[in-house]
Amino acid sequence: MTRHSSADDESLIAALRLACGHDPVPGHVTAAARAVFGLRLPGAATARPVAVPAPSGVRSAERAGLLRFGAGGLTVELDVDSSGGLVDLAGRVSPHPGPDARVEVRTPDLTEVRELSPTGQFAVVGLPGGWLSVVCHRPGLAPVATSWTLVRPG
Amino acid sequence: MVDQHTIEAVLAGDQAAWDVLVRRFTPVIWAAVRAYGLSPADASDTVQGTWLRLLESLHTIRDPDRIGSWLFTTARREAVLLLRRSRGERLTADPAEPGGPGGAEHTADPAAAVLTADEGRRLWRAVETMDEPCRSLFRLMATAPDAGVRQLAGRLGMPAGSYGPTRRRCLDRLRSVLALQEAAS
Repeated sequence: MTRHSSADDESLIAALRLACGHDPVPGHVTAAARAVFGLRLPGAATARPVAVPAPSGVRSAERAGLLRFGAGGLTVELDVDSSGGLVDLAGRVSPHPGPDARVEVRTPDLTEVRELSPTGQFAVVGLPGGWLSVVCHRPGLAPVATSWTLVRPG
Repeated sequence: MVDQHTIEAVLAGDQAAWDVLVRRFTPVIWAAVRAYGLSPADASDTVQGTWLRLLESLHTIRDPDRIGSWLFTTARREAVLLLRRSRGERLTADPAEPGGPGGAEHTADPAAAVLTADEGRRLWRAVETMDEPCRSLFRLMATAPDAGVRQLAGRLGMPAGSYGPTRRRCLDRLRSVLALQEAAS
């Protein structure tokens, strides 16, 4: 038996609502959950977020769009901006993974492929708000995928 | 429940097995994030994000019995992060992430993660033994998930500022009733 007597407020509210059945899952939510499986990348290393130190004298909120991820010896930096209700993404992979490397910017609904510049940079504009992951494909090595991140136009 | 065969099929890339997980756990995840007061749109993003997290951690799956509580914990964490973001806090320095679904830290099942129909009925029977305004408050809270505090307070005949403290007191009382029942069983 589950010990509801030690549950926190939100767990207890969730259990009461679940048992009562008045807030069913919308069909599109279930459909989106099913479609997530199509995004799996067997063998990929997941790059987890690492803290980005705010430069001294700059308020942290001003760097809120800068994200950094690391795995497999690679660092992926993403600068998220928005315009016209859409998301613009500028990124950099370092160290440069080599001339044949490419990145995929993935959302649950679309994938954009980009070659890296000689400095390891790439950009995609006009993405819809939502979950986003950047995958770096390197010949002969496992791909590195940034942990899924929710981005929304400001 | 989810068995080892389903997990192995998911790991082998079987969409139908993944759909079994989705059918089994999406209602729990949805309830978990809605309990934080997320709108349907925010809750939709959070549920999708929770499944994406499982996808990232698939290779760590060992024990099918722990997937439910892992998803529940992950969904709650994503809901809290979204609430913090909406208050303008930074999102880059994530709080500690839960380990993979095979992690040892998820041995304790969160209350709703493995809720059975019997336990759901027992919960509501406990509510029915409570005095007002708690009984009506819980019924309203469960049947009108998108009602605002002002609306809920109005229907309970109390000032909007009293709703939060009253809800806290009622939840504490419900826990006490449940503790007595658990001690007696």
